[in-house]
Amino acid sequence: MKAVEDISFSIDKGEIVGYIGPNGAGKSTTIKILSGILIPDSGQCRIANMTPWKNRTKYVKNIGVVFGQRSQLWWDIPAEDTFDLLKDIYEIPEEEYQATKEDLIQRLNLQDIINIPVRQLSLGQRMRCEIAASLLHNPDILFLDEPTIGLDAVSKQLVRDFIKKLNREKHTTILLTSHDMSDITSLAKRIILIGKGKVLYDGSLKKLQNRYETEKYVFLKTNDTLNIRHKGIKQKTKNKEGYDLVIDTRLLSISDLLNIVSKKITIDDVEIDHEDIDNIIVKLYEDYKI
Amino acid sequence: MKIYFKSLGMHLKGELEYRVNFILSFLSQILVFFTYYFVILALFTKFDHIKGFTLYEVLFCFSIIQFGFSFNEVFARGVDRFDNLIIQGGFDRLLLRPQNIVLQVLCSDSDFVKASRLIQAIIVMIIALCHLTIPWNFMRVFTVLLMLLSSCVIFFGIFLMAASYCFFTVQGLEVRNVFTDGGKHMAQYPIGVFTKGFVLFFTFVIPYAFVNYYPLLYVLGRTDNLLYAFSPLLVLFYLIPCVLVFYWGMKRYASVGS
Repeated sequence: MKAVEDISFSIDKGEIVGYIGPNGAGKSTTIKILSGILIPDSGQCRIANMTPWKNRTKYVKNIGVVFGQRSQLWWDIPAEDTFDLLKDIYEIPEEEYQATKEDLIQRLNLQDIINIPVRQLSLGQRMRCEIAASLLHNPDILFLDEPTIGLDAVSKQLVRDFIKKLNREKHTTILLTSHDMSDITSLAKRIILIGKGKVLYDGSLKKLQNRYETEKYVFLKTNDTLNIRHKGIKQKTKNKEGYDLVIDTRLLSISDLLNIVSKKITIDDVEIDHEDIDNIIVKLYEDYKI
Repeated sequence: MKIYFKSLGMHLKGELEYRVNFILSFLSQILVFFTYYFVILALFTKFDHIKGFTLYEVLFCFSIIQFGFSFNEVFARGVDRFDNLIIQGGFDRLLLRPQNIVLQVLCSDSDFVKASRLIQAIIVMIIALCHLTIPWNFMRVFTVLLMLLSSCVIFFGIFLMAASYCFFTVQGLEVRNVFTDGGKHMAQYPIGVFTKGFVLFFTFVIPYAFVNYYPLLYVLGRTDNLLYAFSPLLVLFYLIPCVLVFYWGMKRYASVGS
């Protein structure tokens, strides 16, 4: 059985790319190939001028990998002990190690949790330690496979901010998979969509949004009665404080709508909502039949 | 090596997190071990010897095998429990680290509870040797040490071979126990007590005979042939196919995936 086929893309240094697709699309398989765990039957892959599955020990010093669903920390002992072992495994010089560790402790706010046995940590705390563990050797490339899975809103935000900063300050190249689209929107400008083992879309997130975002939700706060018929207005419902409209932006732009409406009634307030990114993804998956 | 000892320390620290459990397990292992010991004692209340081997000669042989087996359970537990690494995906993580894979597998687990068996094996060996009238000389002491070493080596090889099996089946399955536990139970007796077919099998397929039979004959003074004394060294060659099979399995894993 083929898990992935004919997947091809290139990523520039310092880019953050969101790698998305439904469950079983081949995201993890791609990451395993890129990180040198799996050897593909055919095809080429060059990362930092190396082929991941050749010269494994040299290659892996360049990369960091976080699997959100799997821990690399030792369960019964504090995370700091795992860090110390990683220092020896990656043969990091003592000074460099201390500096990197201090830096990560600061950025990820680990001061109070690094000395507690890992099994006693919350998921959010553990994930922060996981990320730190994957970055101790200062890799140029970071693979994040669902780094925010199961995290609460605050922890998610902390992780995202950290990733953003890391990319900006150290120019770390990052490939990120997530089913939480808000991760992708807040971090990646470019996305690669795969399904059934093939690349379906590779480009900017904005473009994709524009392509699929054909509906906008407009709320008009008013005391007047609105009588309006226009082909771009797909739906109009009255509620206590005014009207909810669904607009097809291909037929009627928001500014035109407001122009028309403001001539008829007095508008007290306007709220415009985008279509939820998750809905866009659902549509996208439907379109590609994946 | 530094990484290995550091890992050992971490495992010990981890196990001591559950101190009561550790102590109870340690004690229970002593009892388990004594049941093995009593089977042999019981046997010898009916017979004076098995094919010319007396109680203490068998116990000596038994302790050598138990020593090697327990040694690997304590210090190479990661190889023994390799199926866990494959099933739970920990093996992928090892591939992401810039160190030798076998070394990392060794570092991945250890079982200090089994140290109780190791200690008892040594005690039984000392008791057995005290009761035997052996014309001690340098060569015989050296041969005993070689026997201990080769016992550790052979079980490491068998564990590694059994671990390779996981690359193909994922689950460890019981088949491997035919060679580890099954083989261990047979090898507790001098291989010479079995029929010829077994002796050949345990000489050429799994070379237990070089661990506890041929050198035993030399230590007991039943032969003066120095080849018998050095025969445990042949077990080192057994490691070669074991390591090769492991790496072959790993290659397959990389192209098939989990």
